[in-house]
Amino acid sequence: MNLKRKGREGEGLTLLERNPQIVWRNEKRREEKVLQGLEAGEDVAEHGTVILMISGMMHQLNLLGGMIWNLCDGSRDEEQIVDELLKEFAVERELLAEDVADFIQDLLKRDWLTYG
Amino acid sequence: MADAITEQFSAPLTFNWTLSYQCNFVCSHCYSRDEVAEELPTEKIKQIVDLLVKQQVPFINFGGGEPLIRKDLLEVTRYASDQGLNVSMNSNGWLLDHATAQQIKAAGFKSVGISIDSADGASHDDFRNKNGSFARATAALDALHAVGVKTTMSSVISRFNFKDFHALLDLARKHQVTQVYLHNFKCSGRGFKNREDLDLTPQEWKDFYVEALQVKNDTDDLLISFDDPVIASLPGYEENPLVKGSSCGKLSLHLRPNGDITPCGFIPLVVGNILTDDFEELWYNSPVLNHMRNKEAKGKCQGCGVYQDCLGGCTARAFATTGDLSEPDPHCWK
Repeated sequence: MNLKRKGREGEGLTLLERNPQIVWRNEKRREEKVLQGLEAGEDVAEHGTVILMISGMMHQLNLLGGMIWNLCDGSRDEEQIVDELLKEFAVERELLAEDVADFIQDLLKRDWLTYG
Repeated sequence: MADAITEQFSAPLTFNWTLSYQCNFVCSHCYSRDEVAEELPTEKIKQIVDLLVKQQVPFINFGGGEPLIRKDLLEVTRYASDQGLNVSMNSNGWLLDHATAQQIKAAGFKSVGISIDSADGASHDDFRNKNGSFARATAALDALHAVGVKTTMSSVISRFNFKDFHALLDLARKHQVTQVYLHNFKCSGRGFKNREDLDLTPQEWKDFYVEALQVKNDTDDLLISFDDPVIASLPGYEENPLVKGSSCGKLSLHLRPNGDITPCGFIPLVVGNILTDDFEELWYNSPVLNHMRNKEAKGKCQGCGVYQDCLGGCTARAFATTGDLSEPDPHCWK
């Protein structure tokens, strides 16, 4: 799997950054409801808590995606993001790391994230 | 990724903000020319900007009135853009020369829309009651493009120009415009008084939109936008809007010069004041906004097969003509 941004291969960049052109925000009230649902054992994977506005289109990220997105502030690499998430979710590191890697790869392909 | 967007947002995405109702033009279709409201001083306007930042409203669009008449427009824009707000405006272009374009760029405007109603200069000037306005409007587009500000063009479709929209698109291309808004005519303000002369019949609206949607779908060098919920039932309508029906009160709100909030510029129902009321209380609990978000079919909309897509069409037009937010859009051809 090659997650490096084109033109930066070999530079050893690992910190993940959001594309600064993307307008986004946390939907706080939705996040509260999703967290309540999670506490109650509901499946909340399909509920958006972060919205992104890209080229006139809106996209939503679910709770885990939104947390990863918030953590991609240019100060953490993928491993450190997994570390942070493990403080919030009681899951095996390997499973969580797999989900995080898939999500980050998807967003790198879309140019919504870059390595900085 | 997550679900389709059906739940209410925590705040509007856009505030359409009228800083002043003053204008140097007297257009026949203007919704606001006859409006009067106290204007806020710069410091109060900055307070509002702070509140919008706190609420994470990402976009503000200055309209009017003519925004450039406000002497502090650039200062306010700089203040807002420095805090991450994406600022745009709609102008008639009269006051927008090269030097002003440079100041607009420096203030941080993301884009500027110029209103042009006809590709024929004399017709535009006549419609806008202002000799030389076409020349200044097109010069404004060129000046903005020259300094690197994204430009859009706004054309209000009415009886005056509905057969000539192809020429408007060509004009936009000639002046390197990125997006053309073919706004639907709203019978508000002077537009209501001049409705008989300017509005189309429902069948004419349908014919216009069928053709315009085809042109939009066949065009790849220019973005064409309509923002009219009444078209949701037409062939060729392929957009996946963020919300069904009117976006007012769901994705956007309007600010009057004195800080009063209305669902949109065309619906004169004040739901509160942004400086004196609790914004979240208004946003979540305003009876007017919640009525608009939860419309129930009335009249011919009852039992209509496409109501779930258009939700009765444009709420502003329904309200202007009937006084009822839930009545069918008078432009509807069904």
